[in-house]
Amino acid sequence: MSILVQRSDVGEFRRRYRWMVLVILFGFLVLLGRLVHLQIIEGDLHRAQARKNIIGELSLATTRGVIRDAYGKVLAANRPSYNVYAVPEQVDMEKTWPRIVQLMALDDGEKEELTKKLTDARAAGGTRPSQQTLLRVDVDRDVVAALMTHEDDLRGIEVVPVPVRYYPHGELGAHLIGYMREIDPDTLARYEGRGYRAGDQLGAVGVERRWESYLRGQRGWRKVLRGINKRAAREDLEPKYLEEPRRLEPVPGRDVSLTVDIELERAIENSMRGQLAGAVVVVDVRTGRLLSAVSKPSFDPNVVSGGSGMRAVRDAFKRLYADPLRPTLDKTISAAYPPGSTFKPFAALAALADGLIHPNTQVQCRGGYEYGRRFFRCTGVHGTVNLHEAIVRSCNTYFYHVGESIHIDRLAKVGLDFGFGVKTGIGVNPEARGRMPTRAWYTRRYKGAFRGGFTLLAAIGQGAATVTALQLALAYGALANGGTLYQPQVVRSIETSDGTVVQEFPPRVRRMVSVSDDQLARVKAGLTGVVVEREGTAFHETLPGTDMAGKTGTAQVSHVTPRGVDPEKVWYFNRDHAWFAGYAPARSPEIAFVVLVEHGGAGGKNAVPIGSRLVREWEKLKEKRASARASARRQPPKKGDKGAPDGAR
Amino acid sequence: MARGDRISFRGGTQIDMPLLLAIVAVATLGVVNLYSATSVYVDAGKRAALADIYVSQVYWFVVGGLLAMLIAAIDYRHLERLAYFFYVGGIVSLGLVFVLGADIRGSSRWIQIGSFTFQPSEFIKILIVLVVAKYLHDDPKTEPRTLLDLAPAAGLVGLPVVLVMAQPDLGTSLVYLLTAASMLAMTKVRAASVATLVIAGAAAIPLAWKYVLRDYQKNRITSFLDPEHDKTGIGWHAFQSRTAIGNGGLTGEGFMQGTQNQFGFVPDQYSDFPFAVFAEDWGLLGSVLLLATYCFVCIWAVHVASQSKDRFGAAVAVGVGSMFFWHTIFNVGMAVGILPVVGITLPLFSYGGSSVVTMLMGLGLLMSVSMRR
Repeated sequence: MSILVQRSDVGEFRRRYRWMVLVILFGFLVLLGRLVHLQIIEGDLHRAQARKNIIGELSLATTRGVIRDAYGKVLAANRPSYNVYAVPEQVDMEKTWPRIVQLMALDDGEKEELTKKLTDARAAGGTRPSQQTLLRVDVDRDVVAALMTHEDDLRGIEVVPVPVRYYPHGELGAHLIGYMREIDPDTLARYEGRGYRAGDQLGAVGVERRWESYLRGQRGWRKVLRGINKRAAREDLEPKYLEEPRRLEPVPGRDVSLTVDIELERAIENSMRGQLAGAVVVVDVRTGRLLSAVSKPSFDPNVVSGGSGMRAVRDAFKRLYADPLRPTLDKTISAAYPPGSTFKPFAALAALADGLIHPNTQVQCRGGYEYGRRFFRCTGVHGTVNLHEAIVRSCNTYFYHVGESIHIDRLAKVGLDFGFGVKTGIGVNPEARGRMPTRAWYTRRYKGAFRGGFTLLAAIGQGAATVTALQLALAYGALANGGTLYQPQVVRSIETSDGTVVQEFPPRVRRMVSVSDDQLARVKAGLTGVVVEREGTAFHETLPGTDMAGKTGTAQVSHVTPRGVDPEKVWYFNRDHAWFAGYAPARSPEIAFVVLVEHGGAGGKNAVPIGSRLVREWEKLKEKRASARASARRQPPKKGDKGAPDGAR
Repeated sequence: MARGDRISFRGGTQIDMPLLLAIVAVATLGVVNLYSATSVYVDAGKRAALADIYVSQVYWFVVGGLLAMLIAAIDYRHLERLAYFFYVGGIVSLGLVFVLGADIRGSSRWIQIGSFTFQPSEFIKILIVLVVAKYLHDDPKTEPRTLLDLAPAAGLVGLPVVLVMAQPDLGTSLVYLLTAASMLAMTKVRAASVATLVIAGAAAIPLAWKYVLRDYQKNRITSFLDPEHDKTGIGWHAFQSRTAIGNGGLTGEGFMQGTQNQFGFVPDQYSDFPFAVFAEDWGLLGSVLLLATYCFVCIWAVHVASQSKDRFGAAVAVGVGSMFFWHTIFNVGMAVGILPVVGITLPLFSYGGSSVVTMLMGLGLLMSVSMRR
């Protein structure tokens, strides 16, 4: 590189080289500065972003607790439902689609509808052709199997399992057990922090709703590594990038065991076959536990819980709400009716306690009772009746006589003592309070014009007083057990999913009603007479040999036609409600029951057969279970079975 | 430079060892980085085609290396005589792109021959270096040049620029302009002419914006100027690239350990953003080393030019050096987020036969000049 070889004309460039080197150095220094800025000064920020990019959280689903009856029969469980989706743009309408139609066994109407849906989606702009389109919810297992088998040939078709609540007994006890619904935005906002997400199901009514927080369980989560490309999960890298804890196991929901006996429930349902609408409640008089609650007509919780798709749910509710028989109303708890003559035992107790009547007090019944300028009618001409006969034959005249001498507030007081007019605190479903009208109430209602006739009507259970079937059953339970008013119970225990009992609910006494044993015995003798004496209002309709006591009732209905009822059917809605309330067995009562046949007409004729059958079925079940227990005791488990896992679960 | 550093070649020429070592170093790092960049496509034993492109890249290095050796062996002064001949051939092939061009991602840049596609616009870069060098060689003025004096050179560069813009390929035409401008910057130009050029250039920007640039090109520039505005498309790419580089920190995540790349967040990691992969794997230390090597090659080219025996050699050395320089600055600049994403490759790092072979041919030219100082 001697100067000699340089040509003179290169000299023009010479002065530029230093500048060029400076420009090069400047350029690279700028890059260097920027690198220091990104990698050192902002390094942590970018590292955090890079980690955020690859770390995702996968939600781990929990399973909702199972609801069982008192004997372990499953009332509500979960099953997978399979929904079929299609990605419209991926489906080959020429080749694949006809196969799908065939495999899914679509009928012509469905085929046409879905073909249109898909072609429309394919033709639509934007992202719609690439979005999953629902073809059908809850397809049969056979179809699922067929679709899975041919999965490779069916591009664009996806089968997605979704857990769905399943009620094996369908309509039976649906009001009490409840059903599920999708969480709405309002509730979602209100339940913030409880782990709900849009699209979650939650208990809508009944036990499902009341015990939601127990049944629901808790979602878990798992941190995962995720990339932009769909690649095999890099689980090998998880320990490197994911901080502990990397996983939170989901907590399955608690199982709930009810006090209800579903077999008894079914028996009652069967004995109510002939009736359109009504309610039956059975409680254990020794504990206040609810053994059965039937509200008729019912509905299928499987349909309204969404297992068969949103459209089915909407249609079902539309139908249910339009029905004048009000299938969605829980008539055992949420509706109050005038008690009719079933109230007479309580009126009698009030009068006896106050000394207004004596068991031997005799009243002349000539088919009615004259009071002031009005004539209050009786159900018949009973002649001379004492208390016992008055109860047995349900003589109104006798109780008009009681009503004339008693203060209406006394009747209300005794009613309240037996739990009428106050919520029982069962906790499931919105509870009707019912009404035990006092003088103050009448004064307010009728602008100060209280009339003695109100008390007369109150004594026979007519007028403004209303009770729920549940209240009445518990009150009869109190009559049966000697005056203990229990708090009704639906849930017996809460268990973990492996069967460990976490919480048990012992019976709770609400109040001891102060009644003299002698007076109570008089009234109860009357109730037994209703069933066993030839004169008794329940005698003729009772199955021979049924060991029970009770009181019939016929509650007058105010003649108001419900909306939307066909005029031809109005007569039905003007018919009286038929009651039969009682307990069994008559001597040492175990259960108390109430039968209400809405618009059933006379209690004796329509409600008693159901009550009588109910008691029969209950006896049978009791016997069956006793013999099953006995035979289980007779055959002790073999030695080999000792260590075997509990196969029954 | 001490005599012992040079290996004797026939006719007294000697291989420029520092340049050769620098090239081999960059090329090796380039292939290694490409392996890391595309390892993301290795999936559960099944290797996707892209995971093997580092092998093709090695082939291209072999082809380009042989061509470079051939070019280095030829005295560059022969090329001076043939420059216009090559240039015409290049322009014809550029025209053919519009006739035969394979349309890839919305622009026709490639000509397909058999199973190979090649990109004439890449090779034109060499021809522009040669043709501008010849212009400078043939016009050894010593007084400051006027615009009229520069007109032939402007015409020679302008024609391919127009053709490439029509493909459309903003990045390549930018390289043409910057390379030629860098070469012409070696001469004296009258101050008034420089001023006129600057004013004309400024006036041309709005016009170019309105009539020349395509929407997607404008989009790249707006998203660069306003990164918050566009977090989805090209802005998202730039954002993830910056995140990858920042994630590298001082010492890097380690070879094939960069999460941004391994989990697919670095966009176009084998063509536009290989530097992001490198910086994430090797951190600031590795990046500085790499940039220092690039910087060395650029400065070395100026050094070679300064020692060249004639104007043509000096101009070629500066041309190759500036081509190398602008490629590096633009590519790394867009990876680190200080320049808009215009699709200029990183020399010897980005995957692509045409790019690699062109760069090696250019470096062969530089070597040829260096060997004959």
